[in-house]
Amino acid sequence: MTVTRTATLPAAPAGPPVARPPRRRGRAGGRRERPNWLAGVLATGWLVLVAVPLYYLVAASFRTRQDYLSTSPLKPPSAPTVENYVTVLQGGFTTYLLNTVIVTVGTVLIVLAVTVPAAYAVARNAGPLVQRMFSLMLIGLAIPAQATIIPVYLLITQLRLYDTLLAIILPTAAFALPVAMLVLTNSLRDVPKELYEAQTLDGAGPLAVLRHLVLPLAKPAITTVSVFTALNAWNGFLFPLVLTQSQSTRVLTLGLWDFQGQFGTNVPGLLAAVTLSVVPIFVLYLIGRRYLLSGLTAGFGK
Amino acid sequence: MRTGQQRPSAWYAAPALLFFGLFAVLPMVLVVYLSFTDWDGFGFPQPSGAENWSRLVQDGEARDALWLTLVLMVLSWAVQTPVALLIGVWAAGRQRNRAVLSSLFFLPLLLSTAAIALLWRSVLDPNFGVTQSLPFLDRFNFLGNTEIVIYTVVFVITWQYVPFHTLLYQAAARSIPVSLYEAATIDGAGRYKQFFTITLPLLKYTVITSTVLMLVGSFTTFDTILILTGGGPGTTTRIAPLYMYITGFSGFEFGYASAIAVLLLALGAGLSLVVTRATGFRDMQSQQEGV
Amino acid sequence: MTPRRLTRVAASASTLVLLGSLVACGSSGPSGSGGGGGDTAQVWALQDTNLNPIEEASIERFNEQSEAGDAELATFGNDPYKQRLRTAIGSPQAPDLFFNWGGGNLKEYVDAGKVEDLTPLLDENPELKDAFLPSVLAGAQLDGQYYGLPMRGMQPVVLFYNEQVLDAAGVSVPTTWNELLTAVDGLEAAGVTPIALAGNQAWTELMWAEYLLDRVGGPEVFQNIRDGKEGGWSQPEVLEAMTMLEDLIDRGAFGSDFASVGYDVGGASTILAQGDAGFHLMGSWEYTNQLGQSPDFVTTGDLGWTAFPAVEGGAGDPSNLVGNVSNFYSLTTDSTNKETAREYLSTALTDDQYIADLIAAGDVPPVTGVRDQLEQTENADYSTWIYDQTVEAENFQLSWDQDLAADEATEMLEQLSLFFLGEQTPQGFVDAMAG
Repeated sequence: MTVTRTATLPAAPAGPPVARPPRRRGRAGGRRERPNWLAGVLATGWLVLVAVPLYYLVAASFRTRQDYLSTSPLKPPSAPTVENYVTVLQGGFTTYLLNTVIVTVGTVLIVLAVTVPAAYAVARNAGPLVQRMFSLMLIGLAIPAQATIIPVYLLITQLRLYDTLLAIILPTAAFALPVAMLVLTNSLRDVPKELYEAQTLDGAGPLAVLRHLVLPLAKPAITTVSVFTALNAWNGFLFPLVLTQSQSTRVLTLGLWDFQGQFGTNVPGLLAAVTLSVVPIFVLYLIGRRYLLSGLTAGFGK
Repeated sequence: MRTGQQRPSAWYAAPALLFFGLFAVLPMVLVVYLSFTDWDGFGFPQPSGAENWSRLVQDGEARDALWLTLVLMVLSWAVQTPVALLIGVWAAGRQRNRAVLSSLFFLPLLLSTAAIALLWRSVLDPNFGVTQSLPFLDRFNFLGNTEIVIYTVVFVITWQYVPFHTLLYQAAARSIPVSLYEAATIDGAGRYKQFFTITLPLLKYTVITSTVLMLVGSFTTFDTILILTGGGPGTTTRIAPLYMYITGFSGFEFGYASAIAVLLLALGAGLSLVVTRATGFRDMQSQQEGV
Repeated sequence: MTPRRLTRVAASASTLVLLGSLVACGSSGPSGSGGGGGDTAQVWALQDTNLNPIEEASIERFNEQSEAGDAELATFGNDPYKQRLRTAIGSPQAPDLFFNWGGGNLKEYVDAGKVEDLTPLLDENPELKDAFLPSVLAGAQLDGQYYGLPMRGMQPVVLFYNEQVLDAAGVSVPTTWNELLTAVDGLEAAGVTPIALAGNQAWTELMWAEYLLDRVGGPEVFQNIRDGKEGGWSQPEVLEAMTMLEDLIDRGAFGSDFASVGYDVGGASTILAQGDAGFHLMGSWEYTNQLGQSPDFVTTGDLGWTAFPAVEGGAGDPSNLVGNVSNFYSLTTDSTNKETAREYLSTALTDDQYIADLIAAGDVPPVTGVRDQLEQTENADYSTWIYDQTVEAENFQLSWDQDLAADEATEMLEQLSLFFLGEQTPQGFVDAMAG
């Protein structure tokens, strides 16, 4: 059981494994390190597969269109230019970025607001009804969001939310609930019941327990859920595609797709847009690599 | 009022239930209803009996699309698992440059699906792409050849998700006690024997988790294919979700598209049951009951 | 407070948080998006780097002068536009004026009762009606009523070629199908791709199919199919045209890479401009596109254009054109800004400045008496040629995918892409469409 749990939820209680201090080499009685050729070759090959396209992406985004069409894609740009970035930034990129940030933050807030109390109720067994609800939600784990897109579209238009950011936020949050519930509930179940009982003996009601015990203890899980939900919202494509239509509500992923048509033949411009879209996440990665990776592994990282 | 029994009331779960009900369960119910209508996007749906369903049963294209979805799931799994497992175990080791390399490995995780698909579409462009400037690779039209393109899609999916699975395996491999290997070394077991007798058995649950995630992931793949190939060339990469999307949002046969969607829902729900079984969430739940 | 009440309070508090965040997010959404219901008329059009600024300027001029109300332009890429229009038209946020291609494409919306009849508007303003070329205005005429007014240039499909490549291969510009086949063989022997084709999307392939069908069978074949006549797809002309097309494909006319070449990323255009292909069958907008993308290719005179070759013994007149007759603005019945929209339609589309801007951008506006103006332009050779072609054409067939209902068009494009891949035979194509 323990193995299962660490495997599926490596991050929640213990913090992400990558963050552990590196083991010192040659620790007492350490086994002799022979190079592992097979895995080493595989890892190197993988490195090339990752590095080459990313190098191409960045290099091409600094090319002029002429340069892009005439020189080998792997040579460094002959006359680097930031013109593509200027074009992209003037082409609505900042609006798209802002929209994506609003969608991401909104989704995370909603998910946390509804799942933390619910997970507390499930973990403390608030009744058969609640347990049944939890089971129902788990079935939602592998439900492809696309399968519900038509009714969601119908629903959103009936609610007069079509072409608003809220139209993206609501279904995105709803489909993030199963994983969020799973992670939070499991983390709260790991809390020894003596702790709950001790609080109760002190006369604390459920709300106080939620505030003084549950929230602090669930902090790692909450971080995990936040990052996971945020990444899903950030990457969302289908809901924005169908539920919004104007430039002012366009999110980044959709913006990238539209840039493709908008820029026509300007592939370097498109690649500059792609590069720019990675920058915010990359900055977060540099700042909080630990949390980001925990969020990635924790949920189901679809 | 009793003060001894201080459990949170069911009300705590109400907002989540309400929310999930409105934006996830209600659409699922609605899609079943829509599958019995002839809605074409204008006005309100009108019932049309089981027409869509009898059409679906006879629809060879739907069968092809489902088969392709299955092929994609199996292929993605078969390619990703060994790669992620080996790199994950390797990255859990103590090589000197491991830390630097591992952080490079994970870079694809930072790109959105849309960004990845656009990047690869450009890299594989038959006229100006990277592959066209490389020896040997320039012989292939990765996105235009009907024989190759499915493997291209699998490759791009692999590129996107292997880092994630590597991370899972790396974490799990690190939690294996070093003493096990030390004992095995003393017994004279070589690296490969150690891998098969210690590492692999102890990673069993991770393999299950990762497998389930891969299957769910490729089952729900959509934007990668929409952007990379649009389901083409022809219908070579038109997986079931894309077939549904095209039927609904290009042909505007929302009623029929809903029937396909219901099929996807049923398969997804089945897969979810497997997920919860295989990963033992069910067991966990029953063990915890009555706490 | 009793614990139980406390619990309730907690629950409602979290509900409040939820609602609060909803409201907060809702209000942070940008204003002025969406459409109907506001007092600004929403105008939807297809994205076009060159034309959108002109349309924007036209609306700005209108807003300064208009007494009825203001208008606002929103633009979309091709595929997203069709999806979003269809679904938005059924929603409370439908646009007031929407861009369309006329013909069967518009018919679906008219049949659904979503499009306002503009015939009264034209009857009240005879000079407005006379300003447009009748053959083009007819593109939005259904059952004798007008449902749209032309708002962009005419865009017949044109056979473009790279003169330098043709010369180098010793190939002349074809006027008949057989000459085209000879040219294809000649180009192939010279080691270039005879015809650039952005086959990543099937509408580029469709241009070949629809022109051939027109040359072989004439406009009646299209009409029979569009009107859903019994055996429409089984007309022998369809099979004949598809068989000829199969021959062209089997000759390797399109090379081997076409299936992954995207028009939206400039694939085929660049191949032609760089001298890697001889021909490129594309809408007339391709000229403007090349001008923006490869100006040298155009200014040196290497870019050539000609009418689609005649088919010997075919029923279609060689002067017939296929393509976007024009684009039209149509008014939605649900519009809450009909007065503004009508005023825009009756004043802005024939406005001198608007026409002059379109001409300056390389468009050929569908209005009468602009040949003199076209002659003054830098691209006079090309634009007067297009103008004359459209005026002289015996028939101007709307692009087939726009002229069929959406579900049939989707099926046809799919069958066509299979056909180009060699996975569908001419007979198989006919059977699949007839079935």
